[in-house]
Amino acid sequence: MAGVGFRRWAQALTKGKGPGFSALLSGSRAASGPSKDTMVGPCPETAEERAAAAKKYSMRVEDYEPHPDKGEGYGDYPKLPDRSQHERDPWYKWDHPDLRRNWGEPMHWDFDMFIRNRVDTSPSPVAWATACKQLFGFIGFMLFMFYLGEKFPAYQPVAPKQYPYNGLYLEKGGDPEKQPEEVKINYEI
Amino acid sequence: MGAHLVRRYVTETDTEPDPARKRDIDPQIGFDVRKEREMIASQEQMNLAQLPLEQRDYCAHHLLTLMKCKRDNWPNFLACKHERHDWDYCQHQDYVMRMKEYERERRLQLRKKRIESQPEAA
Repeated sequence: MAGVGFRRWAQALTKGKGPGFSALLSGSRAASGPSKDTMVGPCPETAEERAAAAKKYSMRVEDYEPHPDKGEGYGDYPKLPDRSQHERDPWYKWDHPDLRRNWGEPMHWDFDMFIRNRVDTSPSPVAWATACKQLFGFIGFMLFMFYLGEKFPAYQPVAPKQYPYNGLYLEKGGDPEKQPEEVKINYEI
Repeated sequence: MGAHLVRRYVTETDTEPDPARKRDIDPQIGFDVRKEREMIASQEQMNLAQLPLEQRDYCAHHLLTLMKCKRDNWPNFLACKHERHDWDYCQHQDYVMRMKEYERERRLQLRKKRIESQPEAA
């Protein structure tokens, strides 16, 4: 008995008339939350549908460009240029200064990626090719100079230091039983 | 400063000695009698003092007296000037000997080259 009732209640929940938990409980909708005409709709095909969609997203019809319909589920959401918030004017008085966005402005699909703490698409101060050439040129030059330094080392014009007891043979771990190959004798000069 | 590098890499690349390579010059050429270097500190003494290997050279006996002086006079760290000077002077003499050895080898190489080129000229 209770199991059947529970099942019916679960079915009523999934087939609820509209958004909002209140709709699931009472069958009628609350006034909070987005209304049906502001939700994303299917991809527009005719010109009127495009105009309506542009109006919905508070864009000009000339600017409105939906995502191409590849079955990815974008619907009529606008395709905005992939520019991060770093590129927006820092001195203009935005409604939300840290987001650099005004109220009601259409948001990019990946707006959370393009905030100022994250991905930055602003152009580099120097042209990219120039920057690459400078960096790799410098690194290459340094590596080449290090190679030359290995090949032609700079040293003082002195003979190597002379050590007693056959070049410290025993101290360096030589076998006390075996005699070393060359017995070096150091002379004064 | 650096004249030897110019000689080694540019002008006289065949005669300038390479300090990294093993030297095969006979140590007795040019000397009637050559005196051997005397090592005064024994291996046992150096082991007991736990000297690092780089300091077990021909000036180690001065270093041992310096260490003993410092240990006896602590905390007077200004006390062992004489012993320190002796050790430093011995090290300096050793470095001068190294310079002389290098120069000797260089001159012997030049001499060898001169001798080899003479019968060809004559």
